[in-house]
Amino acid sequence: MEMVSLSAIHDAQKAERFSDLANLCDNLDLELASKGGELPEDWPYVIHLLGHILVSDLNSARFLWKRIPASVKQNQPELLAAWKIGQCMWTHNYSGVHEALHNFEWSHDVRPVVGRIAEDYSGRIFRLLSTAYSTISVTDAASYLGLSINDTIIFTGKNGWGFDPSSQMLTVHPLVTTVEQKLDASNLQSLTEYVFHLEH
Amino acid sequence: MDSLEVLVAQVQALSGSTDDLLHLHGLLKQLDDSLQQQQQHHQAIQQCLLQLDPAKHSLGFLYFLDAFGSADISMDQSESFISTSATFINASSVDQVRMAPEKFTNVCKRMRDETIRVQRPIRAISPLHIAIRKLQPSSEYLTPLHADLLQICLLAKCYKAALSVLDDDIFEIDQKKTGLTPKDFLLFCYYGGMAYVGLKRFEKALELFQHAVTAPAFVLNAIVVESYKKYVLVSLIQNGQVPNLPKYTPSVTQRNVKSCAPDYVEFASVYSTRNIGDLKRSILAHEEVFQKDNNLGLAKQVVSSLYKRNIQRLTQTFLTLSLQDIAETVQLESPKDAELHILQMIQKGEIHAIINQKDGMVSFLEDPEQYKTRDIAQQLHGQIQKIIGLAKKIRFADEQVSCDLAYLSKIGRDRPNYDPEEFEVVPQKGFTNL
Repeated sequence: MEMVSLSAIHDAQKAERFSDLANLCDNLDLELASKGGELPEDWPYVIHLLGHILVSDLNSARFLWKRIPASVKQNQPELLAAWKIGQCMWTHNYSGVHEALHNFEWSHDVRPVVGRIAEDYSGRIFRLLSTAYSTISVTDAASYLGLSINDTIIFTGKNGWGFDPSSQMLTVHPLVTTVEQKLDASNLQSLTEYVFHLEH
Repeated sequence: MDSLEVLVAQVQALSGSTDDLLHLHGLLKQLDDSLQQQQQHHQAIQQCLLQLDPAKHSLGFLYFLDAFGSADISMDQSESFISTSATFINASSVDQVRMAPEKFTNVCKRMRDETIRVQRPIRAISPLHIAIRKLQPSSEYLTPLHADLLQICLLAKCYKAALSVLDDDIFEIDQKKTGLTPKDFLLFCYYGGMAYVGLKRFEKALELFQHAVTAPAFVLNAIVVESYKKYVLVSLIQNGQVPNLPKYTPSVTQRNVKSCAPDYVEFASVYSTRNIGDLKRSILAHEEVFQKDNNLGLAKQVVSSLYKRNIQRLTQTFLTLSLQDIAETVQLESPKDAELHILQMIQKGEIHAIINQKDGMVSFLEDPEQYKTRDIAQQLHGQIQKIIGLAKKIRFADEQVSCDLAYLSKIGRDRPNYDPEEFEVVPQKGFTNL
């Protein structure tokens, strides 16, 4: 029984359905608990924790960390490393997140999940910088983005940002987002329903 | 012992048709007292349980299991009781357990107690969730087990699991069908509010705490007082002030609740001066009480919210401001601190601003959302649908009350004095300043 369900988690990992991991682990965790046993020795704590981080559910990651037995924490350096990511996100330590993501030799199964988190995080931070700043020092930008100074200049340059070597400042090129604006005829139907409701 | 065997045979024979079950239920009720007295005969009861099928003989199984659970249970038996209950809850027939909701609730509550005693509350989450669904005629009903599930989720630190019931809107309270008591309702609000606080969904938390504080009452109640303390702190975090309690709050609560939480009332009045230094000193002054009430963490979040609110107030007055000025005005240590605060607020969408590091300036912007996208239209549509559904429910409730004999006779007597103006339907939320 346990093997079957754990395999659902492995399947999701293989198929790169990483955003399903948190719910799969949570549900299986509760189910196993209701049957009375402790979690099996090979319970994928790291994946469970990263699953929450991946869907930006830091609260659940935090509570999971609190209930993981101390003995497990001590014996799994990878679990500590995974928690470090969540911890830095929680305290808005932007450069710390990048360090935590990259300064650990992740195991084969975990690497793709960490890769996805890193990708999402960099994208999110880049979008944030693009909306929050008009000018930003290249050293700050580098630490937010987790890149070297040179790579930061190249990367932002590709996105249309300017660089002033004398002040070491980047000029931010704001993101242009296109959104669906068109309203269709079905709205007319809803309006009719509202008026009907109000009059009756 | 013989009588037990006879009862087992009767359960086995009478668990088929509805008529048989009704007859069996009558028998079980008669024999319940003697079953409960079998307390010392744990083994006999367990032997009976082994002969019954939790799915087929649910009603009988339930009475035996309740007898098992109402006695003192040793640590060893605890394991057996928890696992038998979990299996039973999972397999039991919905129709049969609904014949005896109080018994079913008893067993579930006893199982909750035992999982706490063996320090594995997480074991009760999934069974209690299943039990709630079996007891509920629909997801709109509150059951006495809601509060238990929420409490267990808090103890097991599985806050997300609490959402499985918190996300359902509750409209129905039916004592007959679910055996609900006022205390169950208050605890549901209290624990539910705490779960939402843990998940940082303060708006929902506030709603639940307010339900607890404003619940009809003739005497003040400890759950109400504790809810009020959290209500004050969450109000400050969410709205920056504590509004007057709505007029429908029972007068005993109106008059007395504040004097039961003087530290909180004073803390809120310090908050209204918007001075960070004073607020931090106030936390220190009340630290012992906050700590004792397990509210210190929440109180500290109130302080962070004041920074945020003070920055938001600046956006109402200024178009641009230097980071230095912002840091000084809101009492942050350095311009860099101010920058990080603003960055986080931009990230959460709490403020619209753009930081110019070169000049050390911040420009405050208008909300860029123009509310004309398809996305917004859909959200609006969803909200209106919800309101229409709600309006239908209220109309239905109103019609039911208007036909209620007790109501009509009271109104008939009191009519000369009845003035609808005196009854405010919507809670008063006059937030004059941020």
